[in-house]
Amino acid sequence: MDDSDKWVRVSDNRWRRLSRREFLKLGAAGAAGVGLAASSLGSLLTTIVRAQQRELRIMTWSHFVPAYDAWFDPMAVKWGESKGIKVTVDHVSFADIVPRANAEVAAQQGHDVYFFISPPSAFEQQALDLTDINSEAERRYGPLVPLVRKCVYNANTRKYFGFSDNWVVDPGDYLKSVWTEAGYPNGPSTWDDLLRGGNEIKRRHQEIQIPIGIGFSQDIDSNMATHDILWCFGASEQDAGENVLLNSEETVAAVEYGVRLFREVMNPAILSWNAASNNQALNARQTSYILNSISAYRTAQDNQLPVADDINFVGALGGPKARVGSEHLIGVWVVWKFAKNPENAKAFLLDLVDNYRDAVLASKLYNFPSFFGSVAPKSVPVAQKPDEGRKWVRAACLKDPFGSKPIDKLALLASAEPWSTNPGHPGPANPAIGEIFDTFVIPDMFAKAATGQLTPKQSVEEASKRVKDIFTKWRRLGLVGGGSGDR
Amino acid sequence: MALRNEAPAQVATVAVFRHRTLADREDLLGRLMLAPAMAYVLLLVGAPLVLALLLSFSAATAGSLSFSWVGLRNFATIVSDPQFHSALSNTVLFTVVSQALVVILATAGAFVLDAAFVGRRLVRFLILLPWAAPVSLAAMAWTWIFDSTFSVINWTLKVAGVLHGWFYWFGDPTLAKIAIIAVHVWRTFPFATVIVLAGRASIPRDISEAAVIDGAGFWRKLFQVEMPLLLPIVTVAVLFGVVFTSTDLGIVYLLTRGGPYNSTHVLASLAFQRGILGADLGQGAAIALFLLPVLIVVAAAMLRLARRTEVGT
Repeated sequence: MDDSDKWVRVSDNRWRRLSRREFLKLGAAGAAGVGLAASSLGSLLTTIVRAQQRELRIMTWSHFVPAYDAWFDPMAVKWGESKGIKVTVDHVSFADIVPRANAEVAAQQGHDVYFFISPPSAFEQQALDLTDINSEAERRYGPLVPLVRKCVYNANTRKYFGFSDNWVVDPGDYLKSVWTEAGYPNGPSTWDDLLRGGNEIKRRHQEIQIPIGIGFSQDIDSNMATHDILWCFGASEQDAGENVLLNSEETVAAVEYGVRLFREVMNPAILSWNAASNNQALNARQTSYILNSISAYRTAQDNQLPVADDINFVGALGGPKARVGSEHLIGVWVVWKFAKNPENAKAFLLDLVDNYRDAVLASKLYNFPSFFGSVAPKSVPVAQKPDEGRKWVRAACLKDPFGSKPIDKLALLASAEPWSTNPGHPGPANPAIGEIFDTFVIPDMFAKAATGQLTPKQSVEEASKRVKDIFTKWRRLGLVGGGSGDR
Repeated sequence: MALRNEAPAQVATVAVFRHRTLADREDLLGRLMLAPAMAYVLLLVGAPLVLALLLSFSAATAGSLSFSWVGLRNFATIVSDPQFHSALSNTVLFTVVSQALVVILATAGAFVLDAAFVGRRLVRFLILLPWAAPVSLAAMAWTWIFDSTFSVINWTLKVAGVLHGWFYWFGDPTLAKIAIIAVHVWRTFPFATVIVLAGRASIPRDISEAAVIDGAGFWRKLFQVEMPLLLPIVTVAVLFGVVFTSTDLGIVYLLTRGGPYNSTHVLASLAFQRGILGADLGQGAAIALFLLPVLIVVAAAMLRLARRTEVGT
């Protein structure tokens, strides 16, 4: 049978449908061509890659202060050029840090060094032990800030799963004019002040929708704020030995306080807040107090909002049992076990810390050094470096080089270390704490009681059950200790 | 002589044999042509499905490659979890309510767009926009529209003097659910409208005209003549809508992140929160797999419907 019988004339002998045979021939030829081209290109690329001796792939976040990225990226590339290393810097938004890290672990490929803004303890099994560079940094600059150590070191496995270059202070940001009218010219000092002052502000300022802006929602700022309340009332998820003790009278008292705060000086908007909501509310003068870093203030400055001059800062609020507040962020670098250039990554991290004054200034005093000694003058002996570093930070805060009015507006930040603490306080920031944080168990506990879905006691019991389940699971994996003292 | 006679025959046999290698073997060629699609489905759908099944029976965590068998423990845990119950009922609620609204609106929309009026093309284009817009960008816009403090709806109503209280859209579970359903409807309505519009175009005009001549009014013509004829195609639109809505993670995650207090989660968003953000891959996979029976039923119904409506069968 002649193949031409299958052909169909379309018009005027100019076009005809391809026969199946022709189609296959063309397809095969095309595939062969593409294959050949790909093969040639592959060979060429392989040759090029082999010719490049050294490389470093960095994944970091898109910093809340954009000026930092403008400094970091060229700095990293320049560092690579000075070492004969080709450096690639990629950025990911803060919300995608963990999902992207999961993808890299699953694929067992990606970047050599990966940046987290919260303790990446869940990734310990895929992280190289960085005891060597942590020890080296301590030898050069003096000890790591204690709260940071609890976020990078697992005492159960005796492993440094991360290396931290910075941590961020989480002060109270308040509108000075409004609080002055309410009788608190220096802002609230205790949780009781917050409630009393909030009520006064509510009475005087009808135009302020949410007198006090403490989130009880599914976002990181709400997590920090609700933990602050817990700790100040003497409650916590775990003790220093990682035993679960959330179900306590202290927790119930903290939640009861949260209920009052919500019903008297807040509204349901705070149940829906995301990480930017409290910044936006403060800068729009729709709330008078938030717990946040200085990013809300810097945004107001950058946008030349009049509210910037009215924003002031207070430290952790005092409660019945303690005066302690969460850090805002912990910057932790992880070098993957599957990293192709782990030594380059370690060298980069040490050199990053070695120039940390530049980093602090590039972040507009947002980043605080995890090794205070790293910002001390180079000539100072190691033993004096931490104190000298703290002095430098204090001087920078007292004389903010980025246009604060008054110039010492950020002075409070310099004294933040004693009242700042880590997630998991008074214990370490272990993976169980990470899961509790990322699934919003504590803000939900407050929200359910605040809205009357559950009583404070029921809400605490429900959250406690979830916390225990989470701890049990991570203990089975050997990454979390305690258990004998669970309550 | 015999040799002379055999030679051309051999040549012809060889030629025929050579010509019938691949191009003429339809069984082999069909399989070959189907292979890329099958490989795609097996690699990108089948393999992840098998992996999810395995993960759901394990204590796998996101930051580790270890895989320890835990049997049905993950399923037992989530079945007794109130958050899971809430996510399951939300998945059903959002899907059923939004698709019911989509059917009504798409049918009405198709009637409107079928009519002749000035600017019809522009209206058709505008109605299709939500379908073409990336869900992430759209969700960001809706986040502002429904923002609890700065909601455009609230401020507009307030300025108009209509609203005296305040709608905390994402701060109240009921309002948050309404907002999520509204965005689902907004997103799937254009697709359904186009399908129904195409279906109407395929109904012979004489049937409609005959109904009018027989004295059928608008509603009678709609429900007793056109709707039965449109039913197969509307069913296709609904089935697509059910799949899109019940498996969607983006809208809930971008609008409410499951809040307030985890009350608006659907199975997909809860699975993401537990499995990826919370690092409990096993439990996340177990939650996600609860969608599997729904999807199997929907897929079977779609295939059956497609077979029924095949031309010439």
